[in-house]
Amino acid sequence: MIEINNLTKRYYSLTALNRVSLTIPQGEVLGLLGPNGAGKTTLLKLIAGLIYQDDGRIHPTTGKWPLIGFKPERLLFPNHLSVRQYLALIAGISDIGKAETERIVTDSLAQVGLLDAADKRISACSKGMRQRLGLAQVLIGNPPLLLLDEPSNGLDPEGQQEIHQVVKRLHAAGKTIVMSSHHLQEVTEVCTRIVVLNRGQIHYENSMTEALAVQANTRIRADRPLSAMQAQLQALHPEIEIDGSIVVLRNEAMRLRRQVMTMLLYANYDILEVRQARATLAEIYAEAVN
Amino acid sequence: MQRVFTLTGYFVKSLFWSLAGLIYLILALVYWNLFFTPGQGTPDIENYILIIGAFGAAVSFLVTLSITARANQAVYFPVVARLPSRVEYLTAVLLSSIIAATLLQLVVAVLALYRGPGLVLGRFLEIPPLWIAMNVLTAVLAMHVSDFVTSGWSRVYLFGALGILLLGQSANGPISDWVVERLGRLSVTINQLGWTAVGRWATRAAGWIDGRETGILHQIFTWLIWPFTAISDAVINGFFSAAQALAPAVILLYATVLFLLAADLFAGKDLEFIE
Repeated sequence: MIEINNLTKRYYSLTALNRVSLTIPQGEVLGLLGPNGAGKTTLLKLIAGLIYQDDGRIHPTTGKWPLIGFKPERLLFPNHLSVRQYLALIAGISDIGKAETERIVTDSLAQVGLLDAADKRISACSKGMRQRLGLAQVLIGNPPLLLLDEPSNGLDPEGQQEIHQVVKRLHAAGKTIVMSSHHLQEVTEVCTRIVVLNRGQIHYENSMTEALAVQANTRIRADRPLSAMQAQLQALHPEIEIDGSIVVLRNEAMRLRRQVMTMLLYANYDILEVRQARATLAEIYAEAVN
Repeated sequence: MQRVFTLTGYFVKSLFWSLAGLIYLILALVYWNLFFTPGQGTPDIENYILIIGAFGAAVSFLVTLSITARANQAVYFPVVARLPSRVEYLTAVLLSSIIAATLLQLVVAVLALYRGPGLVLGRFLEIPPLWIAMNVLTAVLAMHVSDFVTSGWSRVYLFGALGILLLGQSANGPISDWVVERLGRLSVTINQLGWTAVGRWATRAAGWIDGRETGILHQIFTWLIWPFTAISDAVINGFFSAAQALAPAVILLYATVLFLLAADLFAGKDLEFIE
């Protein structure tokens, strides 16, 4: 849906994004991860057209920019309006007729669980309500591209879970979503693709399924150090590592676990533990950022 | 158009329902009371047109500053992100400023009719083009003053150019005489301060200008200012000549050029709305 080539953005002497290239396919939920100042918000603002790049190109693959629903990180709203009035304003600028506005506003409020607060002034809304309102405004007008900057920031676990459900529903409805987050669990749960940014550059990019699968491993712990068998074991597959008394089999090498265990038993080693592990996003993130 | 009208209505409404809106309304009443106190007798129609016209222009400037300050808030990032063109947002801000200012001007205008001048149809028809043209121009100028539109040094360049224009036009006779005289005085002052090198530069510059025919510049400046002098002359004389009748259109042309410049600046800059 969106193609980004060699995107560079500078703020005076600070390079916020440095030659970032990325494809955001239609229907994906892309999670942007990275420490503060990594360039996540800058990237979202560039896609939203709120700021311009100094170099590179960002363009829709369809040739025409789709309607964009953008939820900024900061929960700022015109406080003098009620929740319903604000959403009606958003509907008005999304080419929705007056006759339909009421229904669409009610529908978006229901989706984020904010119907009870529809007539409440925004100034009287809690942080959680504001976060939901931010998401509700994104839903108005059914935009095919949603940019969510930390959508569940500041919500309690229950609220976070509701937001995750909304994002999942939107994904199921075919929306393309780009969201930044510091919650790795959230990204694991709702994103189909991840990008780890650090100091303005992409340090890791993969589909979520592959990211977790690629990092999977099997650990076999023997009763004593395996230095005597190191060469023999590593000759089986390049993705076999020896770490003291532990044999680590990664990716394709995981299929050889039975063979490895047999070799160890024949060599009079006792096998104390066999552990099948999927890497967590935290491990991937730590590896990418450090 | 629906998007622009929705935003326009929103900005007008939010201004009048705020403290700023109330202050503007009070300002309008104070202005009316100062210039059109019912007890002071019937004002001339010329005064009516010029004084309320001046109010409209001034309030248009102020209201535009208020609305641009509102529109320049991070609250509206989601709004701008949805619009196919940023210029729609800018247009809505301009329209709402003009509408709000014109409404305030109408308050004064209607109140001033009480024991005010009897407006004959001919004179009444003069009013809308004069007032609206001036309101639009000052609104666009205010946009260029605001952080909302300004980009880099744009307002310094624009208002610097306007300053030079006004300065040049205010000179009596050929501009060169006027500039030469001031540069001469400046060089004396600078020499007295002991900065002789700079003083010599001012003297040389005065001599250079004195040797050239720069009367054409004065003519250009005068021509650019012409619509404003034409309007005030026509209103005071009580009738518009065919040429003077074009003056409001020329002012609208100036406003259009300035708006296109504002649109170009706004569309091409990073939006750094205030949080």
